[in-house]
Amino acid sequence: MNGKNQKYTEAPVKVLLAKPAIDGHDRGIFVLAKAFRDAGMDVIYAGLLPTPEEVVDTAINEDVDVIALSLLNGAHMTAFRNVMEILRKKGVNDIAVVGGGIIPDEDKPALEKMGITGNFGPGTPLNVIIDHVRARAGEIRKLRANEY
Amino acid sequence: MNTEILVQGILRGDYRAIARSISLIENSGYKVRKDIISRIYRYGSAKIIGITGPPGVGKSTAIANLAPSLAVHGKVAVLAIDPASPFSGGAILGNRIRMQAALSSKGIYMRSTSNRLYNGGLSEYTWDIIKVLEAAGNDYIILETVGSGQADIDIMNIADVTCVFLAPGLGDEIQAIKSGIMEIGDIFVINKIDREGSYLAIKDIRESLNMSNKLETPVIGVNSLTGENYDELVKNILEIKNKNPREKYYRKLKMVVMEAIYDEYSDYVDGIEYGDNSLDEDPYTLAEEILGKNSNNLRKIKSRQQEY
Repeated sequence: MNGKNQKYTEAPVKVLLAKPAIDGHDRGIFVLAKAFRDAGMDVIYAGLLPTPEEVVDTAINEDVDVIALSLLNGAHMTAFRNVMEILRKKGVNDIAVVGGGIIPDEDKPALEKMGITGNFGPGTPLNVIIDHVRARAGEIRKLRANEY
Repeated sequence: MNTEILVQGILRGDYRAIARSISLIENSGYKVRKDIISRIYRYGSAKIIGITGPPGVGKSTAIANLAPSLAVHGKVAVLAIDPASPFSGGAILGNRIRMQAALSSKGIYMRSTSNRLYNGGLSEYTWDIIKVLEAAGNDYIILETVGSGQADIDIMNIADVTCVFLAPGLGDEIQAIKSGIMEIGDIFVINKIDREGSYLAIKDIRESLNMSNKLETPVIGVNSLTGENYDELVKNILEIKNKNPREKYYRKLKMVVMEAIYDEYSDYVDGIEYGDNSLDEDPYTLAEEILGKNSNNLRKIKSRQQEY
């Protein structure tokens, strides 16, 4: 935890948790926020009812490595796609996006194709999710190291 | 890594470049930081408005009111610091939730950072991050500390105006005359003025200011839900003159000198093996010897110090 002589690729992962639609079920996302914190990450929670634009704004302002989207209301195909489209429109290709919530198996290939990985459902062990986020963040940090 | 592109982005005010350079400053050690800061040091100057106070008095909510009102007078940016966990090093950066709506409608840049277990209410590289925000052309930078205890007073060394936020019912007049945070305010703000006991809170603080002959220090009651009295607060903030930048500069210089020495010698010290006979000597003598061995380097640092 010594801040000196640190390498960018080894610094704490910064993750944004967001529910980008009308969905007030935030118990699960609080559990995740605490789990990520306990795994040594810097966690930002976007609050209830953020618009996809606000989610992308926050991600850019805070320079997060991973956006973790969660929806339990069935709007994931629309709302997650919105987030991806805004990211693409702003030319952001160096932020990983992972998904989760109540997502039927038949939707998962389409989400993967958009670039949203993970797509975990209820009952997934926390360490599986943490490992996945950490792996995606690692890829992103390596990508960024050559960027500027 | 191409710092020049990054620096051009900062000077243009490009949010992605600003955000990335802040991450690099936080995460990548002495040399990268020097590379960035040395290129942008001459650009920009802003009024730094420090917001401090105990957890839960409404600092973040207050910024949601304050930032848009200041945006009328110039370009505003917000930097908010939250504590890291002493067990895992992770952090929940929750300041943003309170101000998101107010900020994104005005396009105000806001960044939350973890204090990475640094004591004093700020993070170790707050000075550097503020330099980046200044170079990006901001006129006002609102700096929110960790919810502070009585002794987290680093903010007064970096802010031009320190606003101490309090709420009714936090303590009696003995609390108000204590040392530490109650002495550093340029403005005292009592939030949640609609609650019971707000009159007593204002009275206690006025009395203690009177005792230390600082009665002219403003004590302002505000209501963050309705925005009541925020115009008064903004007026007072704008009236207070910026502090002499030299004092801030010297403090940072001292920190950097210590870090430069650390950077220079830590590898060397790590390289000494446990079996080495030199470890028979007491650590004070050995330390002086180590510095003496590389006295050329130390002299270089010293002569640079005199130039400033």
